[in-house]
Amino acid sequence: MPSPIWRRRPTLQRQQVLGLLPLGVVMIVLFGGALALALLQSLGFAPWLGINSFPDVSYFIALWGGASFWWSLWFTLYYSLAATVIALVLAILLALGLTRAFPGRAVFGSLYKLPLVVPYAVGIALAVIMMGNGGVLSRLAFALGWIDDPAQFPLLLTTNAGWGVIAVYVWKQLPFMALAIHAVLISAGREQAEAAAVLGANRRQIFREITWPQIVPGIVSSTLICFAFNMGAFEAPFILGGGFPDTLPVMAWRYFNDADYTLQLQGMAVVVSIGLVAGMMIAVYLATYRRYERSLGRV
Amino acid sequence: MHLCRSVLFVAAFLASTTAVMADEAAAGFQDQILAGDMSWDDVLAQARVDGEVQFFYWGGDDNLNVWMDSVVAPAMAELGISLVANRITGTKDAVDLVIADAASGRTIGEGSVDAIWLNGENFYTLKQQDLLFGSFAQLLPNAANFEWDEADPRSQLNLRDFGTPTDGAEMPWSGEQYVCSANRAVLPVEQTPRTFEDLQAYLEVNPGKFAYIKPPHYLGNTFVQQVLYAFNPDGTGATPFQRSIEGLGAAELARLAAPGFEYLKDIEPLLLGGPQGAVRYPEDAAAAEGLFRNSEIHINCGFGLYAVATKRADGSYPQTAEEIIFPAGNMIKNKNYLAIPANAPNPAAALVFANYMSSVEAQVTKLDLVGYPAGIDPWKLDPADAAALEAAAPAHYGVTQDELDDNIAPDTNASLVEVIEATWLEYIERGSSLPLEEIVANAVANLAP
Repeated sequence: MPSPIWRRRPTLQRQQVLGLLPLGVVMIVLFGGALALALLQSLGFAPWLGINSFPDVSYFIALWGGASFWWSLWFTLYYSLAATVIALVLAILLALGLTRAFPGRAVFGSLYKLPLVVPYAVGIALAVIMMGNGGVLSRLAFALGWIDDPAQFPLLLTTNAGWGVIAVYVWKQLPFMALAIHAVLISAGREQAEAAAVLGANRRQIFREITWPQIVPGIVSSTLICFAFNMGAFEAPFILGGGFPDTLPVMAWRYFNDADYTLQLQGMAVVVSIGLVAGMMIAVYLATYRRYERSLGRV
Repeated sequence: MHLCRSVLFVAAFLASTTAVMADEAAAGFQDQILAGDMSWDDVLAQARVDGEVQFFYWGGDDNLNVWMDSVVAPAMAELGISLVANRITGTKDAVDLVIADAASGRTIGEGSVDAIWLNGENFYTLKQQDLLFGSFAQLLPNAANFEWDEADPRSQLNLRDFGTPTDGAEMPWSGEQYVCSANRAVLPVEQTPRTFEDLQAYLEVNPGKFAYIKPPHYLGNTFVQQVLYAFNPDGTGATPFQRSIEGLGAAELARLAAPGFEYLKDIEPLLLGGPQGAVRYPEDAAAAEGLFRNSEIHINCGFGLYAVATKRADGSYPQTAEEIIFPAGNMIKNKNYLAIPANAPNPAAALVFANYMSSVEAQVTKLDLVGYPAGIDPWKLDPADAAALEAAAPAHYGVTQDELDDNIAPDTNASLVEVIEATWLEYIERGSSLPLEEIVANAVANLAP
């Protein structure tokens, strides 16, 4: 006998179908199609280039068998994770700060969102203009007589330490994360924290027991978006990175851009690898988060 | 419902028949013109029917873009053709488009690219894929402006593009020479290197003050090719590098290239960023120019016979920039071309366009306003035209045209370029510990079939 819940289970209404259709078509046809095509090509299917050795895993074997792939993977993960973690810590501090009153809060509250409307490319250009060896800071140092040649200015960009890449990501993503966390804090209200304070909890206890569980959903969603973006981003590591070994998206671009068009299949193997790694990491992250939510009894 | 379906059916049927008809008209035109059965007036008339020409070219030069819009477009409009200038960041994008069109079954009259400005590997790719319109260059009226006689060694620049026979499938458009510039504010004349050994000696005193663009960018490839010429163990310079990889063989190429690659490895720690332990090859000409402007590097190299004059004028080079003769005797000179793909949507308009671009008028204004050396050969022109061409040429700084002419070398065969760039990536960039012979052999084995 069907349960009442089963009976009340909503069915898709015509209006809902219409609402879901545009995104559904885009996701399935464009995104799904591109993914399927990438997978096919990485497995040797490109008859329009006169190549069809499907199924052929040699592109993956060649890619994963070389040390440079693993170095590239390491740099991709390092830039993505370092930027996400640094931005997150700063964003939590900023969001918490914004919940308190301080003089100029209204101005600062809108000012910090500025990087959100500035494109990444502009941020990258700013980094080059400011932090490059021929940049503004270097010229200032020259004007002050600290250095007498651009090479004497510390090499901040174009090294594999990736300070430039990480700086641009943090600059752009910190406001985004702070906005998401701040919104969660506002909607949760301060009543629980105040009640805990009245009951004698200290600031650390309040953060751990009240605030943290409140902001976790905001943290998870915003870090997921930023991390996934960083994994696939191309411009910042291409312009500000240290060259070989490049991050995986730059490596893929180099294969695509080579005059030898047959290297496109190798590039597709790189693209599929990025998808695999990012997908697995996000799956583990979400599974961990779900377990945490379950431990709180919220799911 | 029935009506709806039948309307769709009729529409689809009409669409398919018109496509076939357009296809046949364009194919008929192609057969006729290539067979020489068509007068130039007929081509002009057909071009007016086409109405437009889809030209794809690297859009990174403002002077060129302005010239294209203010000189070429009005001239084409007078011929009843509207010029659609598709500015792309890399020529390969247009080649990819041609390949993609062909893959989806679009043949003559149905593609999206009428003409591409290209040379070297991109032409080689189109030729290898059999995606060129056909041998049109010598059928155009302005073919008279070029040297086609094989007996004259100067014809080689029109007949061979990076060693690949052009077979008339592309029209020479500009000449170019690889020229290095020095910033006299930091590099005095007496310290100026003439050879690669000089450069190394200079870098030992001034570490980090030079960079070449990263292969497989063609500017980086060109630098590497010049190094290989200069260190050719037989002392025969560029000569053996004119042969194709099939003729030369991997082992012989490895033997010829070994000393050059040793040199490239030796100077790597002395290049930009090397002293700080983070060598970074610039990605493109714009990046290298920025480094040169900031005197992060003292010498900047690239294609551009008149680049110093143009760049001093527009402020992208310091006023202290001068041309230098480096590497002496190995400054690669080549031409670049206009090619018409096999699936050009407006083949007649493309031919008229290519003909206009090789006219004296177009070449003189291009030289004057853009500073790109002439693609036409002055000795084939009447004296007044040749004088106009000479008068339009921008100035040289620090060197004379004769010195530049005396130090030229030909390009490397396109089939070797891919092997050389793959070897550079493996041996220099990835720092492979395999012997060079094996790296070259692997690169040859991985060549596209």
